[in-house]
Amino acid sequence: MKIKFTTNDGQTHEAHAQKVAGKLWVHVQGRTFMYEAEEKSGRKKGAGKAKSGDLLAPMPGKVTKILKQAGDKVEAGDVVLVMEAMKMEYTLKSEVSGQLDTINCKAGEQVTLGKLLAKIKENN
Amino acid sequence: METIKRIAIANRGEVAVRIIIACQELGIETVLLHSEVDVATRAYRMATKKICIGPATTAESYLNIEANVQGAIAGGAQAVHPGFGFLSENADFAEACEKSGLIFIGPSPKATRTLGDKVSCKELAKKLGLPLVPGYQGENQDVDNLMNEAEKIGFPVIVKAAAGGGGRGMKILKDRASAKELIESAQREGLSAFGSPKVFLEKYLDKAKHIEFQIFGDATGRVIHLNDRECSVQRRHQKIIEEAMSPSLTPELRRQMGEAACSIAEQAGYKGAGTVEFLLQDGKYYLLEVNTRLQVEHPVTEEVMGVDLVKAQILTAMKKPVFDERAGIVPRGHSIECRIYAENPYLGGVPSTGLLGTVHWPEGPGRRYEYGFEEGDEITSYYDPMIAKVIVWDETRLRAIQKMKKVLQDSVVFGVQTNIPYLLEILSHSEFVQGTMTTRFIDKHFSEALKTPDFTEIEKAAGVAALKQLAPAQSSSAGEQFDSPWLSHWRGI
Repeated sequence: MKIKFTTNDGQTHEAHAQKVAGKLWVHVQGRTFMYEAEEKSGRKKGAGKAKSGDLLAPMPGKVTKILKQAGDKVEAGDVVLVMEAMKMEYTLKSEVSGQLDTINCKAGEQVTLGKLLAKIKENN
Repeated sequence: METIKRIAIANRGEVAVRIIIACQELGIETVLLHSEVDVATRAYRMATKKICIGPATTAESYLNIEANVQGAIAGGAQAVHPGFGFLSENADFAEACEKSGLIFIGPSPKATRTLGDKVSCKELAKKLGLPLVPGYQGENQDVDNLMNEAEKIGFPVIVKAAAGGGGRGMKILKDRASAKELIESAQREGLSAFGSPKVFLEKYLDKAKHIEFQIFGDATGRVIHLNDRECSVQRRHQKIIEEAMSPSLTPELRRQMGEAACSIAEQAGYKGAGTVEFLLQDGKYYLLEVNTRLQVEHPVTEEVMGVDLVKAQILTAMKKPVFDERAGIVPRGHSIECRIYAENPYLGGVPSTGLLGTVHWPEGPGRRYEYGFEEGDEITSYYDPMIAKVIVWDETRLRAIQKMKKVLQDSVVFGVQTNIPYLLEILSHSEFVQGTMTTRFIDKHFSEALKTPDFTEIEKAAGVAALKQLAPAQSSSAGEQFDSPWLSHWRGI
């Protein structure tokens, strides 16, 4: 739906806004984005981005190939898994160097977004 | 003349809609052959009849020849339109259709085999003396042998699925060390997307432009071309932005390449719409492959040449004449197409799936939207991430670029992330604006994911206002729209 709002300078603007599947989507001045209340998004930002030995599914899709086994040595940049979604292959590489701790999926398995697929124990 | 009263569509998404619209205009009914999950789609709502041909997995539905043929017969169709992708370049499918008394809308199985198989296509091109990129097209598909052949050609080498297209099953081999994994990956992608793991190798031209000619063989056997398109803006060999005509061809090159395109198609007895792809580097052109089907980017040719290729395909299948020469088919102005992918541009283009909210395409002169999904439809991870195509036409290339930018800014897609921010960056890049981009353009300038921009004051204000205005009352009405078909059903009574 279209909403109207006023900025601090007194100008009135129009935007498209809608909640879809629990998320707020906004389109204003040529850009579409998801918007969360400030305090919520702040917390989320702090949590991410550090290099991690956890390999999470970056999208929903199918695991097509597992190249490493638990116990294998893994260098940062090594391909651990191959996934397929929307008919394209994506390689999942380790961000850290260390030893592969666990694999939590099987080749051929459909996985959901964000699923922990493998854990790499980082060398100290 | 053949009579066709009903056409079965062996495809999905926006191309299924495109075919339905052409059929509607010709007074022909349609049968949509769809998978179990493809029910909440625009094509499903538009088709005269729908027949479910199998589960979501493409191998069991859209790639299943038997299920498609049976579905077309059960639906009472006289002809089958395969769209692009899936079975569109599968000669066995065309043959199975013909055996069951169905007209396959496309070239004959023989022409598809000759030109569609990249290996035999190259053999024919060689015979005709057309320039080719050096490569290996042998039968020995052993990975070690392929690695040796790649070394002989000299890295960088590109590996491609022999039955492929659309960028799937294509990888660049930079050196021997990484070659094995990439060749195997291409074989798997080829098997999963096209049903064949066969690959071939080719020298990778690293500053080439991708230029292709739209060809068309009419019912009398005459082959003409409808000029060229440039599709140099590609990521992982998947086209993102296409335009007609190419800003890079001199009239002389255009004449030579057009003649080459027609000669190979004529030699193969080609009927219907097809595309001859070339690479152009340092003023020299090389024949790349022939796509024996309608192309995703066919609308830019339609806009510039003033033709309807899908209707022409159907009319040709009915043995009727197309493209009246007296009408004077000459190029006019410039057209650009952007493919809208459901993906997150801030995460390097990983697919984005989910329920679609508001979808709004801004109307105006010289704007065209080809889309297969609307509000309330779900984008799943089973199929290609392309959810729509935005096509613009204007008098000059620069004006078309300006128009495309405005159109993309004003387009609204809620519920899944799209590549629109990425497209806007590309359209503003000086190399694209000048028209000098090569197939390495994306690699060179857009290899990294886009940075998530900070909210502007107005964006923040819009977010805050939306949170407030869409609070409880609104969110429950959104819930009604998505979660409960019953409420909207009862409201209508």
